[in-house]
Amino acid sequence: MPMNVFEACFLINKARGEALVVSTMSAMFAAAAIAPGPHNLSSVPLMGGASGLGLGLALSQPGRKVLVLDGDASLLMELGTMATIGQQAPANLVHFVFNNGVQFAGLANMARPGGAQFDFVKMGEAAGYVSSRRIDSLPELMAAAPALLGTPGPHFVELMIAPQPRLLTEMPQPELPDAQFHRMGAEARAMMQLLGVTA
Amino acid sequence: MAIADFAIPASALHGAFRAQGVNAVTTVPDLIQFALHDALKRDPEVRYIECAAENQALTVAMGLHIGGEVPLVMMQNQGLFNCLNTLRSVGIDARMPLVLSVGAFGREFANLGKPLTDSARVCTARVEPLMQALGVPLLHLETPDDLPKIAEAYATARSRQCAVVVQLGFFPSWT
Repeated sequence: MPMNVFEACFLINKARGEALVVSTMSAMFAAAAIAPGPHNLSSVPLMGGASGLGLGLALSQPGRKVLVLDGDASLLMELGTMATIGQQAPANLVHFVFNNGVQFAGLANMARPGGAQFDFVKMGEAAGYVSSRRIDSLPELMAAAPALLGTPGPHFVELMIAPQPRLLTEMPQPELPDAQFHRMGAEARAMMQLLGVTA
Repeated sequence: MAIADFAIPASALHGAFRAQGVNAVTTVPDLIQFALHDALKRDPEVRYIECAAENQALTVAMGLHIGGEVPLVMMQNQGLFNCLNTLRSVGIDARMPLVLSVGAFGREFANLGKPLTDSARVCTARVEPLMQALGVPLLHLETPDDLPKIAEAYATARSRQCAVVVQLGFFPSWT
């Protein structure tokens, strides 16, 4: 049974320990709501950037786990990053893709490219991740989390997520606040402080 | 000036970047910068990461920067056109002090010593106006005399907290 994005993020956060989290799209809102703090880096407004950010972080901070909470359409936009992750093989990286099959989840729920037949798990295998698997339910995620975080990666996990119901139909769309555009930089600087890195 | 006078030795470029603390490269390789790619890739103290697209070179570099490394992002001018939105996000909105080394692909030899905006090739002529429009500082390296601009690029990136483009106008030499 597909998971709710908040439930999946809640379980991932429970298993997180001291891991850094790079997120985007619907997982980004859930991750920040469940566990705000300087361990979070949001790829926003930057669709497709999460996997690259996570790779750079994982390579430069080998002593820390790095969890990437990617979107399905976002990952498709920068699919080539999987080849670089497979080649660089950071053992501390776990790459989750939240596959809800839509773009603008909860807003317009527009179809994403590839449809249901696109196989993310095969992409992970072909790219050379140490493991690549699909997880369909919360109990399965709960059971898999210790090994995903406790064994050398990089690991790739496709999470089957139920899209949030579409909210905006005939409602006026809200203006984007300035904070949306400053958020990634502010979080990056907070994370650098957490890590003791000076620019 | 002879054409060879425009070739900056790759070893000098390598040394100038390393003097700024560069210890990582993220790149989609550039036809102009073959010799510099070679010098940096052979340096055992430089982490060298080949990316599939320029967007990824920028985001991986941002991750490395957050984690404490000093990355150089290498790409061709065509690649710069390819990653404008990520440059906007990472280099302007997020204020990451990344330096990009960008080769002036397509430049006519007859244009050497002249403003690149006089080039008949769009990918050569429009880089500077485009970066100006975005508010991204660009420093052009035309001859070996321009090498100090690499230090200036890093100083600018760090003081203004933004991405800076270093444009290489000609093929570095394999020396």
